[in-house]
Formats: sequence, structure tokens, C-alpha cells
Amino acid sequence: MKHALNYAFDEAITSLWRGRRSGFLSTATIGVALFVLGGFLLATSNLQRLGDQWSRSAEMSVYLNDDATAGQKLAIEGLLKAGPVIAGAEFVSKAQALERFKQTFADLASTVGTLDSNPLPASYEVRLQPQAGTSTGVDELAQQLRGVAGVADVRYDRQWLDRLTSTIGIVRIVGLALAGVLIVAAALTVATVVRLALHARRDEIEIMQLVGAPQAYVRGPFVVEGILQGGIGAIVALVLLSVTYLLMRGPYLMPLAEAVNFSSVSFLSAGWCFLLLVGGMVVGCLGGFVASGRT
Amino acid sequence: MIETSHLSKVYREGVYAIRDLSINIEKGEFLFITGPSGSGKSTLLKLLLREELPSDGQLKVFGRNLSDLTSRQVQEYRRSLGFIFQDFRLIPRFTVFQNVAFVMRVLGVPPAVQQRKTFQMLKWVGLQHRMNANPQELSGGEQQRIAIARALVNDPQLVLADEPTGNLDPDLSLEIMNMFREMNSRGTTVVVATHDRELIRRVGRRAITLEHGHFSEGA
Repeated sequence: MKHALNYAFDEAITSLWRGRRSGFLSTATIGVALFVLGGFLLATSNLQRLGDQWSRSAEMSVYLNDDATAGQKLAIEGLLKAGPVIAGAEFVSKAQALERFKQTFADLASTVGTLDSNPLPASYEVRLQPQAGTSTGVDELAQQLRGVAGVADVRYDRQWLDRLTSTIGIVRIVGLALAGVLIVAAALTVATVVRLALHARRDEIEIMQLVGAPQAYVRGPFVVEGILQGGIGAIVALVLLSVTYLLMRGPYLMPLAEAVNFSSVSFLSAGWCFLLLVGGMVVGCLGGFVASGRT
Repeated sequence: MIETSHLSKVYREGVYAIRDLSINIEKGEFLFITGPSGSGKSTLLKLLLREELPSDGQLKVFGRNLSDLTSRQVQEYRRSLGFIFQDFRLIPRFTVFQNVAFVMRVLGVPPAVQQRKTFQMLKWVGLQHRMNANPQELSGGEQQRIAIARALVNDPQLVLADEPTGNLDPDLSLEIMNMFREMNSRGTTVVVATHDRELIRRVGRRAITLEHGHFSEGA
């Protein structure tokens, strides 16, 4: 087994060097395919983190009628106790709401002063549990609160969160589909290049078969050649991806992250990088395996 | 050692390459197969190499019916054979030494053993001084000697040669035949396909003639 592996690696490296021009083609195809896949993974992983961050800071506002009684408030507070959906709730009186308005919209503060009465309602500001951001539990709670006497309105604008989630899903599907097509193309290119190498060495293969060489010796070098092409392609893709990321991070990505209140964009995790590398090698291996199938 | 019983090979409907061949080749024998081009000599060697399967009849080598072998058993069977072709079939990118060692390399023989046996074989065919040369730098006779070294390096019990002197002049042909005689004298069974009846006469061993698929004893 050790001899077979040594032989396969020796021959695969020699063959890669001899056919480096065509090998470059298949390596580049794998590189492009994994670069696209890696790019989409990078985008979706950051969007996913953004979504999680937004979910964690999601709030619900329960506005009260001006004539809500103490009993009605108690009933509402009963529903807003901390639990699987609610992390906590804070009462904001009409006066506190007006004060906040004046602080937030300083230009309009004098205009509000001319009004006869305070138009802003008292409310409960409800902090939701992080994982409750897009759960149906929040919908049910909002529905329940709307039916309670003394509640004027319940605002839980989760559409943007849903949109973000569905956008991540679409980006992921498009990325996977595109990468899937490119990966099939890459596997076919590897198979073609390995087939060329096989054709160039048909005399050797014939001799190997006539002397009864085990299949590991006959096919092994071609499978290893595919694995090496895939691995090199994956490394090229990861290097290009990290260079592109570093070049875009400062001038584009960070300002964009700040604009949407996102803590920080980050590169693919070590786990994803490893998976991309292994993925490239598996694609190359399949190409080499299929190409050497009829030896 | 080799036993054929009503062996036939048909390539196209009604066109026999070999028809109803029943012969025995004993262990340690030296046999020529002769006949004009297209008479079935190469077909018989392909059947013996188990590159082709008989259309009818039986072909037994070392007591095993070659039609019954699995692909793994075919590999094992071929490891007990040596083969030599008219066009030498040396690998151009390898040196002489690498060409001879190649067989052992792909059979997983340890490098030290590869080196020792390859050198011994090159010495036997008298080309140890050319071991770092490329096949293209050698004459036809030298290339065939390298092919013989490659065929014998794995100590085969049976050597099959298809027109091994087809590209060589009469003197070189006799030189190659002397090598076959020497390997045969060490106990290796040798089967040589050739259309050169003069060569058969000079070597003076058993011969069978194939013609239109049929065979007869003698050249």
C-alpha cells in the first residue's frame, strides 16, 4: 500500500509537471468554481451574522390607550413576563415618551411645546429573546396583546428581518446552484485533462496491465493527479478570496457594515476554508477516478 | 503447461482467426508458432495473455482455464508471464534501467531488490553500460535486448514473444534467439510467434503452423 501510494504520488507529480499547461486549465477551473462558492459563502455567513445581530436587538412596542386603567396595565404586564419569547419589558410613560422625542428630534422640540396636550402614548418596550427574532411565538404574543383591553397598538416590524432571512436563503441557493454548475464543469475539465495524461501514457498503462500490475498502480496516479489539481485549485481560490477580501475590507465592506449597524465583517472560518480545500480535492478525485475508469 | 482443446476464436461472423486448435505445450518447452500474416499467430498469443477470450473450446495454462479467471486472478496470472513484442514497446521517457525496473516497480517490489535484479538482467543481456541511456539512443537489437531483460526480470515461468525479430537483421535475430534458448535452458517455457521459417530452421525447435485458422505440426 505504501509503495502504491509512493508510486501514485511520484507519477502524479511528474505527470502534472509534464502536462502543466493543460493542468493549469483544470486547476484554474476548480479555482474559479471554488472562488465563486467561497464568495457566496463569505457573503451569506456575514449576512447570517447580521441577521442574528438584528434579531438579538429586536424589540416590540406595546402602545397603550390614554385611558388605560391600572388593572389593564397589570393584565398587560402579566403577558410581558420574561420567558422563552420575552427577555424583559420596560414601561415608558407619556411624559418619558415626550422627553425622548424632544431629545431625538431637537429641531421639533419647540413645535411640540406649542401643543395643548402630550400626543404621545405611554408604552411598554419589550426586549425579545435573541432566538425569538423570527419565531412564531412573537407573532402569537403580538396577536394576544392586540386583544387586551387598554392596548392601542402593537408594533413589531419584523418584515425587514424576514426579508433579510429570505434574502440570505436566496443568495445561498443562487450561490450553491452557480457553484454546483461550475464544480461539475471543473470535474469534467479535470477528467478531460487526466484523460489526456492517460492517453499520453497509454503505452505504460498497457505494459502495466500486461504484467498484472494491481489497479492501485494503474489508476492510482491519475486519481492522485486529480486530487492534486483539486487541492491546488482550492488553495488558489482561497488565496484569491482572502486577497479580494482584504482589498475590499477597508474601503467598502467596513463602511457598509457601519451603515447597517453591523459590528464587523469577517472572513470565512477555518472550518469553511478546510471544507473548501477538501471539496476541491474531492472534485479532483472524482474527475481522476472517472477518467481512469476505463483503463 | 499450456493445453488447448478445440480452441476457436471468431472475430466476425464466420471468419475464424483460430479454428479447433488442440495442442499441448509442456513445461520447459521451446515452441515456435509460424504462419503467414493474418494466420492467427498473434491471436493465439493474445488468448495466452488473456487479452482476448476464446469464442469456443478451452485454453488452460498452469492447469487453470483462462476463461474462468476473475480480473484479480488475471493480474496474478500475468505476473507469471513475460512478453516481448516486435516493436519493443519501451517507454521513451524512461532510461534503460527504469524500463527494466518498471515491471518490478508497479508490482511493489522493494527498491533495493529492483536495483539488484535490474542490474543482473542488464548484465545478462550485455547492456549494463547503457543503463542511463534513453531507448531512442539504442539500436533495434539493443532495444530488443532491453525488452527481453524487462520480460525476464520478474522470473516468469512462461515467456511469450510476438515476432521478436521482425525488425532485426538475420544476425541480430539469431543473437536474440540464442537469448531465448538460454532462458529456455534455465527452465522457462518459451513460445515465439514468427513468420521467419529460416530462423525456425536454424534454431531447430518444435514448431506449429497456423494457416486459415487451422494448424499443423512443423514449420
